[in-house]
Amino acid sequence: MIPIAITGLLTLIFLLFLGSQVWRRHFDRGEATASRELTPVDLDAFENLTDLEEEQYLRANLSPGLFRGVQRSRIRAAKMYVLALSENAGTLMVAGQSARFHSDPEIAQAGMEIVHRAIRLKLWCLLSLLRLNAAMVFPAIVFPPTRIASQYLLVTCMVANLPRNSSALGV
Amino acid sequence: MNFIIFQFLWATPHVLLIPLAVIMIYRGLHREFPIFFSYVLFEFLLFCILFAMAHAFRLHFRLISPEIYAKIDPFGRAGTVALHFGILQELFESPVAGSPPLRQAMARILNWATLIIVVLAVIFFGVLNYNTLDHRLNPPYRTIETLNAAQCGLIVLIFLWYRFLRLRMLPFVVGIAVGMGLVASMESLMAYWLDSPAVRLSSIPGVLQMASFQIAVLVWIYFALVRESKSASGIPPLPDLRQWAADLGKVPHL
Repeated sequence: MIPIAITGLLTLIFLLFLGSQVWRRHFDRGEATASRELTPVDLDAFENLTDLEEEQYLRANLSPGLFRGVQRSRIRAAKMYVLALSENAGTLMVAGQSARFHSDPEIAQAGMEIVHRAIRLKLWCLLSLLRLNAAMVFPAIVFPPTRIASQYLLVTCMVANLPRNSSALGV
Repeated sequence: MNFIIFQFLWATPHVLLIPLAVIMIYRGLHREFPIFFSYVLFEFLLFCILFAMAHAFRLHFRLISPEIYAKIDPFGRAGTVALHFGILQELFESPVAGSPPLRQAMARILNWATLIIVVLAVIFFGVLNYNTLDHRLNPPYRTIETLNAAQCGLIVLIFLWYRFLRLRMLPFVVGIAVGMGLVASMESLMAYWLDSPAVRLSSIPGVLQMASFQIAVLVWIYFALVRESKSASGIPPLPDLRQWAADLGKVPHL
């Protein structure tokens, strides 16, 4: 009877999860008004934190022990930047999705493009966080990622370049 | 169990698959979800074959033996499980359907996730069954039920994936995932129930299994019909987009 009881309990939890998802997505409209503000991110500072030359310079001029400490602090700061970028990518995704369903095909196409780019950015952020965590453990061996900032700039530029004509936007 | 109730529970959801297929064609969903559409047709055809075989066995002097039926049934179930995995991939990739490179990336992620979840399911059910000696399920069915359980894990992953990406799930995607989750979880549970020596003669698992499929088909029809039409008319006209664009000015270097 124990296998049935365990399987039954897991099935119940799973069914409750499914129910909660349906409830959240179709009856609770809270998600639609989720954060629409972008967190300001200083990309120069972020690029500086993940710059390989900067790292080489620190490695050459600091003792190994001190270098590991400094590098961990830099990685910790970089992680906060990546989390902010990931959060902003989510906001951009919401913007892109709104545009995606617009009646104007040009805006809809731009919205689709934003969604795709934002997904890519989110994936970059996820992978970067994994890599930063690895770099945190082995600061002298694993290097932080360097390409997120350019991806982020690409997406934000696309949203900013969407038509601002109010009639075209339907607002 | 009463023969008529059994026939009713078996036939009704499969007959309801026809209106579901018609609604999907009418709304163009068969182009958006081709694997799910194939699954609907496959389930209906499989039902027609098995139903005909069962009746031929009962009415026509037992021309078709239960052994032949039992040999065909696992192939049908294996086909269903394979299509289920295809549908899960379809749901996972649906937000990036227009971007082949992203689709490839998503497929890679899903393949790895599937592998990990299947291995975890095999380990979990292996440990669970280790001390249970009196099994009735044969290995093919046990494999299928383990894969069903793995599908539940993948469905959870799909919901979390959309949440992580902050993507709005299309109503039909939610419907497909919920219906499939219901079927996969109940099949897995009922298999254990039937396998248990204490309750294996009970007819309740069979009824629950068929009832869960019935509910799943109704969920699919509901989300294909009602929710899809509501969302199509209720999309907000780019609220706050200009504000968002303006907010981007807060980001330096733009």
